[in-house]
Order: sequence, then C-alpha cells, then structure tokens
Amino acid sequence: MNFRTETIAGDVAAIRADGRLNMVSAPLLRQVVSDAITAGSVRIVVDLSGVDFMDSSGLGALIGGLKLARQAGGDLRIAGATPQVALVFELTHLDRILQNHATAETAYRD
Amino acid sequence: MTDFDPTLALSTPPDDIDTVQDFVQRVLEPHTDIVGIDRISFETALVELASNVIQHAAAGTGITCVLSIHADDHELSARISDSGAAGAVILSAPSFPDDLAESGRGLALIEMLVDSVHFERVAGRNVWTISRARHPLP
Repeated sequence: MNFRTETIAGDVAAIRADGRLNMVSAPLLRQVVSDAITAGSVRIVVDLSGVDFMDSSGLGALIGGLKLARQAGGDLRIAGATPQVALVFELTHLDRILQNHATAETAYRD
Repeated sequence: MTDFDPTLALSTPPDDIDTVQDFVQRVLEPHTDIVGIDRISFETALVELASNVIQHAAAGTGITCVLSIHADDHELSARISDSGAAGAVILSAPSFPDDLAESGRGLALIEMLVDSVHFERVAGRNVWTISRARHPLP
C-alpha cells in the first residue's frame, strides 16, 4: 500500500492511495491524514482510484480522518471509488457521510 | 466449473491479512465463471472474517489458523478454524454503530455480504463458516 500527498487546486491536500486498504494499511492512512492536517492542510481528498480493495478497517480510517479534518475546521472527501469500495460504502450506509466524487480534482468544486 | 477445496495454513506473525487475501485471489482468479458481485462480496466477507480472527489473537502470542475455500456451481463457502481463545461472539441481526464510529462494522458487513455465517467451538478451536449462493452467469 502506497500513499502520496500533493497539493491541488490551491489548498487541497490530495492523498493518492494505491493497493489494499485493510487492517495493515489503515493505520498508515490515518497517519498520513494526520500529517497533512499538522502541515496545515485541512481540506483533504483521498483519491481511492488506485484502491482495489477496502474493508471495514479502511472505512474506519477514513471516518477517523474525516473527524480529524472537521475538528481542524476542514473536511475530508473521497474520489474515484472502485466497485468493491463503493459496495462497502453502500452496505454500511456511509455513502451518506462520504459521497464519492469522480476525481480528486472535482471533489471541492462546489 | 470443477469443484475445488484449496486450503491455506496460516501462522501470525509473520503471516497477515495480505497472506489471506493473496490466497483468496489466487484461488478465485482462474474461475472466470464467478460473476463480479459474488466474487467481491465473498472476498470481502472472508477478509473481514480473517481480520477478526487475527485481530482477536493479536493480543496474545499469535495464532495458527486453517482456511479452506469451497466452490461449486451453486455456492462459494469458506471455513476458518483457529487456535485462539474461545470466541465470545454473538451473531445477531446486522446492526451498524453510529455513523462516525471508527470500528465495529466488520461482523454486520459479513452478514450482509454472505447468506450464512456460523460459529462453533470444536475440540478447542473456533470454527467459522460462511457461504454465499452464486448468481447464474448473465
């Protein structure tokens, strides 16, 4: 599992994830989100287009990141969910909390 | 398709959930007649279940477990037998925690992804079985 953080659209931290988001990699994602917020980026988008698998621990890390971002006065959004990731969001009803955006670049275009 | 029953013996550490998922994908990959929704639902349920087993053992000195997968024309099923302490898992109707909870969704998710989940204690081991009926090919 790889995470790469870059700044897009001025002040949005885009975290590009690749691989499986599971009990091994979920704590790393939590840390990467926390690092981005500490570095001053409170508007975060996690690009999931390279994540071919996510389980409930990955979901937990995204919720944890969302809470951290909100506490810092910002937000966390997701983009590019693949079919398996979208299924997990749908079954757990968390697609109401974290709506998927087509791409990281469009996630804050509202 | 031909019936198959491959088995993986797992020992954590050093094995982890990626070992399990590599095995599941390797087993299912050649079976192109398994439709997408059955494949991702079964794989997700099995990874959730194995994560649960590994996590509950992690507090101790690791765990040995045996995972077997069975598939035929009608269903996909898996059995995990582990050496962990007696599980105190109560399966009920699937229910999810608060929206902002960071854990506690695994078992409910498993119950939604497969048609049956069973747990029993057999000869000092925890034995889990899950099964999902297959959709016919479109």
